[in-house]
Amino acid sequence: MEGFITLLRDAGAVAILTVRAFFAFFKAPIEITPVTYQLDHSGIRSWSITVLTALFTGMVLALQFATGLEPYGGSMYTGKLVSLGIVRELGPTLTALLVGGRVGSGFAAELGSMVVSEQVDAIRSLGADPIKKLVAPRVLACIIALPLLTILADGVGVFGGLLITMREVGVTAKFFFTQVKDTLGMVDLLHGLAKSVFFGYFIGILGCFIGLNTTGGTEGVGQSTTKAVVTTAITLLVSNYVLSTIFVAIYG
Amino acid sequence: MDERTDTSSPPTREPLIEFTGVKKRFGPKVIYEDATLSIYPGETITILGGSGTGKSVLIKMLIGLLRADAGSIKAFGHEVTTMNEAQLLSVRTRIAMLFQSGALFDSLTVEQNIKYPLREHAWGTDAQMKARVEEVLEMVGMPGSQKLKPAELSGGMRKRVGLARAIAIQPEVILYDEPTTGLDPVNVRRINGLILSLQAKLGVTSIVVTHDMDSCFTVTDRIAMLYDKRIAFVGTADETETCTIPYVREFIRGGRGVLSEDVT
Repeated sequence: MEGFITLLRDAGAVAILTVRAFFAFFKAPIEITPVTYQLDHSGIRSWSITVLTALFTGMVLALQFATGLEPYGGSMYTGKLVSLGIVRELGPTLTALLVGGRVGSGFAAELGSMVVSEQVDAIRSLGADPIKKLVAPRVLACIIALPLLTILADGVGVFGGLLITMREVGVTAKFFFTQVKDTLGMVDLLHGLAKSVFFGYFIGILGCFIGLNTTGGTEGVGQSTTKAVVTTAITLLVSNYVLSTIFVAIYG
Repeated sequence: MDERTDTSSPPTREPLIEFTGVKKRFGPKVIYEDATLSIYPGETITILGGSGTGKSVLIKMLIGLLRADAGSIKAFGHEVTTMNEAQLLSVRTRIAMLFQSGALFDSLTVEQNIKYPLREHAWGTDAQMKARVEEVLEMVGMPGSQKLKPAELSGGMRKRVGLARAIAIQPEVILYDEPTTGLDPVNVRRINGLILSLQAKLGVTSIVVTHDMDSCFTVTDRIAMLYDKRIAFVGTADETETCTIPYVREFIRGGRGVLSEDVT
């Protein structure tokens, strides 16, 4: 029961932080430079883990479908299943999990260190707002970066699927792409991208929230980092199911 | 010197800062039960107390970094405890704080650190800010260090840059949180010298939180002693001798290296 109350209280605090970050960002002067810095730091520098994750996921998915469907004479449909699986589910979700682990823990550690070394207090004492300076640009950068990384993951994942499908099933690239084109609609792509916007928000806000609530010196920073990874991963997985349910209900 | 001792006697002028009946607790731990203290313009007052008695909490409440649970805190005649973050801005431009370890922003250079408050308060043109950075770095004895990163500085240097950043926007009050803790004797003397020279040059009011008795007696006009969750004693260094609270006498004698007969 106590854990449930803590959960509710934290969820409320995250919501308040979100609202404050939103208004802080739009309060003049709007500062774009910190956003582009975070976009580079957290978004663009995550491209390599995104590519690796997506490539091997696409490959293993194709391998499993090609061999698994063979007894039923269904291996020809590998392209359809791989592209659908990547674009709707694995592209956005795995990207978010990986980037969440990398970026969310980074935010928690950085902001946590700033809290314990009184730098956050210093920002306030110097007449600035830590939410505007620290939280808003990070959350915004994640919200922008995740859909872009997801598009990258979608492309690379389907390409990985193509490589293995060609080898295992013996189809041509042209056949594969025709299948992909017939299977995937705009809805599928948007389904994944819409989720990734939410994932970006969760990664940014949770990393910042946990970082800012760090207590207990350097040990606390370590705990915050761990907490950020676990909390972000669980939130992403649960919210993925909820969001998917909603989008499926709306768009099919 | 007469001017300085004058502040200890019952003052004729209005206090600049007033704590009245302040209460503060963190969870079950009570820090202040009833803290009352008045600080007068131009004086240097030292707040003494053992470790973990919440000395820093008092000055952090003054600029709204921490909130008092009850009681009144007035700065320049305005009630601080009921201000929101936007209103606190006006207090924070007039009261600057030197944090314990300097609290410099790691990702910024010394120059960018000092420019930070100047930018926030739209202090002037870029050239003016540059000149101001040079000026305050000169004041703290670190000219030419603009391009260094905090990681390249020693503990004492960080505090001095922190001090430069604090005085950049010309505050009327400077809060020093353990300014000499963790420094070697040379740096301790240097920081104490800085507190005195800033006092003389800028005419600011200084509140020093410390448990370092030597520093205390070097820089201070008055001493406020924290004991039993309240300000147990306020007075000049000489007045501590006649203080009736044994703990206060012990703390001050012990700190000065005077062996107490009561204990031995």
